[in-house]
Amino acid sequence: MKKNAKILIGDDSILARKQLKDVISEYMEEPVFIEAANGKEVMEKYDSERPDLTFLDIVMPERDGILATIELTKKYSDAKIIIVSSVGTKNQLRAAIEAGALDFVQKPARGDLMKQILEKYLGDN
Amino acid sequence: MYAQFFGSYLLSRNAVTPVELKEAISHLSDSHLRLGTIAMSKGYMTAKEVDEVCFLQTREDKHFGEIAVERNYLFDDQLNELLKSQNPDYLLLGQNLVDMGVLTNERLETLLAGYQKENQIDPAAGGDDIPEQTTELVRNFFFTSDRTLSDLMVTYMNLIFNNLVRFIGGDFTPLSPAFVSEYDTNCAVIQRLTGVLPLHSGIDMDKEAAIEFASRYAQMEFNEFDEYVQASLEDFLNLHNGLFSVNMSNTSSKEAELAPPEFTENRSVELSSNAFVVPVIYPFGTVYLLLSPDN
Repeated sequence: MKKNAKILIGDDSILARKQLKDVISEYMEEPVFIEAANGKEVMEKYDSERPDLTFLDIVMPERDGILATIELTKKYSDAKIIIVSSVGTKNQLRAAIEAGALDFVQKPARGDLMKQILEKYLGDN
Repeated sequence: MYAQFFGSYLLSRNAVTPVELKEAISHLSDSHLRLGTIAMSKGYMTAKEVDEVCFLQTREDKHFGEIAVERNYLFDDQLNELLKSQNPDYLLLGQNLVDMGVLTNERLETLLAGYQKENQIDPAAGGDDIPEQTTELVRNFFFTSDRTLSDLMVTYMNLIFNNLVRFIGGDFTPLSPAFVSEYDTNCAVIQRLTGVLPLHSGIDMDKEAAIEFASRYAQMEFNEFDEYVQASLEDFLNLHNGLFSVNMSNTSSKEAELAPPEFTENRSVELSSNAFVVPVIYPFGTVYLLLSPDN
């Protein structure tokens, strides 16, 4: 897996961001975390940092995760976005995939699932 | 959820004081249910017989069941069934109150029968909560408050009590709802729902309670009120409302849309005309559930 990969975490909950960083750190070598607390910050940080992988919550102030995904994938066709949410109705999941998200992870993120996601999207192949 | 609502039933009948109840609740995790308590709740033995066998146990070195069968208070097959049966937690709460000397077995027997009858609890069904049954429990809980809730609101409240059990712990007792038009917050998180059930929903507590609430929710040890504690409160409410939305979309194909949860401290909040507050007593403090359905 890529060393020092840049990971953008967009979630308005500092607790959720910490929990996600903790589980990612178990499986990655020195990841570089970039944090955003709302949808607007997600856009700004993405522009300046160009992360390798982005995790977005659905319910966020300013711009929700779905809207942020639509804007990001429109602007950056290579953006790798994973939606992380405590809950997802079928409509929300569909909206996330249609918006251009690659995957959906249930919160709190389980280690084995996170490992799969990281290998799939940041793997060497 | 039977233990939580049995507590409020006892309070509503003035059988216990809130202080006694709180103490009995705090001992729930370290007590075991005795055979006599279950036998009584199932109507196999009377309170008198249970008390007699307990007394005899101080004279003879025998198990409760052995003595009860010898005296023909229990049949063999009843004893076997009791030994195998699940232990409903509301019985444990009643037993704790007997141990504390607050209730006699006889008074508990009467109260148990009343509680089971009122909520149509089948004593033979064991201790597993059945969601439809807890819905009835919640409906009855609000029925006493002279206003009835819509079916959807009962579903919502049933879920929030179940989520408290699941994510914070079952050692609580809800008190009767109060209907209010204004509320002064301490440390509150409020979230707006639109769609299937338009309302403002919130939780409020003091800082000490918030620290413990957050520690339980995040399964981390917090010692002061900081941004992590605040985030834990927000996450709990957001998770609960999210689960509600998922349930709704699965059962009725309608969803609830959630706005981000908002934290407010020491502020007076105006509520809608049919808003209510449910105080929920935990050993670490009181959590107030705020519900303000949009008019």
